[in-house]
Amino acid sequence: MTEPTSSSVATRPQETFSSAPSLAKVFVKAAMSGKKSGSTLPATELALTGHAVDREHLLRYQRLCGFPVDDVLPHTYPHILGFPLQAELMGRSSFPLPLAGLVHVENTITVRRTLTDDDVLDIAVHAEDLRDHPKGRQVDLVTEVTVDGEPVWSGRSTYLARGKGNPDAERGTEAPPIPKGVAAAQWRLPGDLGRQYAAVSGDVNPIHLHPLTAKAMGFPKAIAHGMWTYARALSALGRGANGPSTSHVWFKKPVLLPGKVDFVVDRSGEPVVAGLRSTRKPETEHLVLTLETA
Amino acid sequence: MPSTSPATPRRAAILGGNRIPFARQFGPYANASNQDMFTAALEGLVARYGLQGQRLGEVVGGAVIKHSRDFNLTRESVLGSSLDPHTSAYDVQQACGTGLENAILVANKIKLGQIESGVAGGVDTASDAPIMVSEKLRQKMLKINRGKTTVDMAKRALALRPTDFGIETPANVEPRTGLSMGEHQAITTKKWGITREAQDELAAASHQNLAAAYERGFFDDLMTSYLGQSKDQNLRPDSTVEKLAKLKPVFGKGEGATMTAGNSTPLTDGAAVVLLGSEDWAKEHNIPVQAWFVDGEAAAVDYVHGDEGLLMAPAYAVPRLLERNGLSLQDFDFYEIHEAFAGTVLSTLKAWEDEDFCRDRLGLEKPLGSIDRSKLNVNGSSLAAGHPFAATGGRIVASLAKMLHEKGPGSRGLISICAAGGQGVVAILEGA
Repeated sequence: MTEPTSSSVATRPQETFSSAPSLAKVFVKAAMSGKKSGSTLPATELALTGHAVDREHLLRYQRLCGFPVDDVLPHTYPHILGFPLQAELMGRSSFPLPLAGLVHVENTITVRRTLTDDDVLDIAVHAEDLRDHPKGRQVDLVTEVTVDGEPVWSGRSTYLARGKGNPDAERGTEAPPIPKGVAAAQWRLPGDLGRQYAAVSGDVNPIHLHPLTAKAMGFPKAIAHGMWTYARALSALGRGANGPSTSHVWFKKPVLLPGKVDFVVDRSGEPVVAGLRSTRKPETEHLVLTLETA
Repeated sequence: MPSTSPATPRRAAILGGNRIPFARQFGPYANASNQDMFTAALEGLVARYGLQGQRLGEVVGGAVIKHSRDFNLTRESVLGSSLDPHTSAYDVQQACGTGLENAILVANKIKLGQIESGVAGGVDTASDAPIMVSEKLRQKMLKINRGKTTVDMAKRALALRPTDFGIETPANVEPRTGLSMGEHQAITTKKWGITREAQDELAAASHQNLAAAYERGFFDDLMTSYLGQSKDQNLRPDSTVEKLAKLKPVFGKGEGATMTAGNSTPLTDGAAVVLLGSEDWAKEHNIPVQAWFVDGEAAAVDYVHGDEGLLMAPAYAVPRLLERNGLSLQDFDFYEIHEAFAGTVLSTLKAWEDEDFCRDRLGLEKPLGSIDRSKLNVNGSSLAAGHPFAATGGRIVASLAKMLHEKGPGSRGLISICAAGGQGVVAILEGA
């Protein structure tokens, strides 16, 4: 299964997978593993090569996130293909932060060209930039997707491990203010949304699945997957995001399920800014994102 | 005091079309909705003609089998496309005539100067069909829902019986006669004495012609692949009369039964759209005119009392259209007669050759006569491609416009489409 090869992006030792690691196993293994420490990231890059898109899976993803059901891969779709590699890497004992306690706080994605279900994807994930944060430590998991060696998609997921922070550390890029004014749309999110998204994405983190498992993890109710809210907001912005484009999302307060959220958008400038806020308590902001299309 | 429209009638141009390959029921599009498919066909058209962000005069679509939640099917599809969201849209439903009727509507508005451009089309899924509950259950549930208190509702719920539960799906059956379309056509096929051999010949030709059209790339700029399908799934390039002769009849009864699964269209999923515009709009957008939408006509017959065959309305629509345009049946380079069943096409052609029918039914002094069969459905038709009801009109208009453009200016094509409810929609296109 493992065969170190040189990476095209940087000279990192690479481990190649012929199929994505099972997330359920990764989560269980991570939960059993002991305390983690250290200040160096694994240099290894995990790669899934020659991934042919499963049309049935694509359709379920498109349907659940509100994208058109066609042959174009949604802006966020390659992320869920690479996520098992992210989790595998972060779950390893060589990774300095505990997988279970990581909070997805920020994400950027660049789509370099429109991808379709005919594209055979090579997906590579590595970790970089372990840094102090006022509330703990942050790390970036970088996902690069190539087709026949051509870079077509890249994503950078920023995770925060809460803990002893460094008050002098930089906070990272500041999110733009969430658009004000009336909601462009209101979405009722069902109680089983987390289970639905888990079934498609494989992300079976218990905080998303059921009120009881979420409570065990310290949340009052099950919470929506951030990547679902991100994808749903992008799909509401139209087809542009599925072509060449760059998005940047800041995840704020989790969306409790079931729930009702306002979708707000400001398209007056570049980039477009959109956000999700609680319908009942509009001061509760769930996410803000920017989108630039070519 | 002007009492007429300020604009004088002008020509309506057909500029191109797009469809997704048609797929068999419960095939690759089993999980795609009408909206998914229509949006995909529309988006393919937008991409081909660079219409992203443009406001068109209107988009007219529709589906024969439609969920009640899809009340604004076409508008929703526009909003899901890259067109300017300020493009208005509406749904039309005239059974299998939907797509062609929509093209007539858009062409007429262009001719009157009401719009400069428009898209006409249709979609149907035989897979993602709505499910209805029994009428008894529906009535009782509505009554429960009207209850003011929980107790009220519970009391009304007591009226529910196990036998009320059951689901129904839309069936290809005429509500007034209880006969399926195939059973109706079997009566007509028999009445006109259409042989099994003639029907199988037409079916084999349809497959061979469609296969040849793919072979020479005819559909390259008329189609975008969808969900892994790049060709009509129903197409059997190696279809022959001998192979078709082996199939057992499925419609009609006994000795004289001639209609098989091979010479009848299968249930299919798919969508098709056509781009129309004024000459000026086409010039501004640098899109060459393929053909002119000359005229259209619809007719209906009284099939309910057995006076006429269910699918014979085009036989009545065509002579009216010809007369209005001063043309004879022989004045065409191409005939596109929708193959609901091979028997439908052959019964229609035979009726036009029949002195009694033309005199007694059409009120003509002499029969319309025969057509040159080498000009009929030259790139295949519904028997090979399949027939997602409302999508067929768009398929035919786009293909015929391209054929006429290849043939050259002044060439002429006739379209004839039969529809449920004893209706028919026909049209004349002219090459540009």
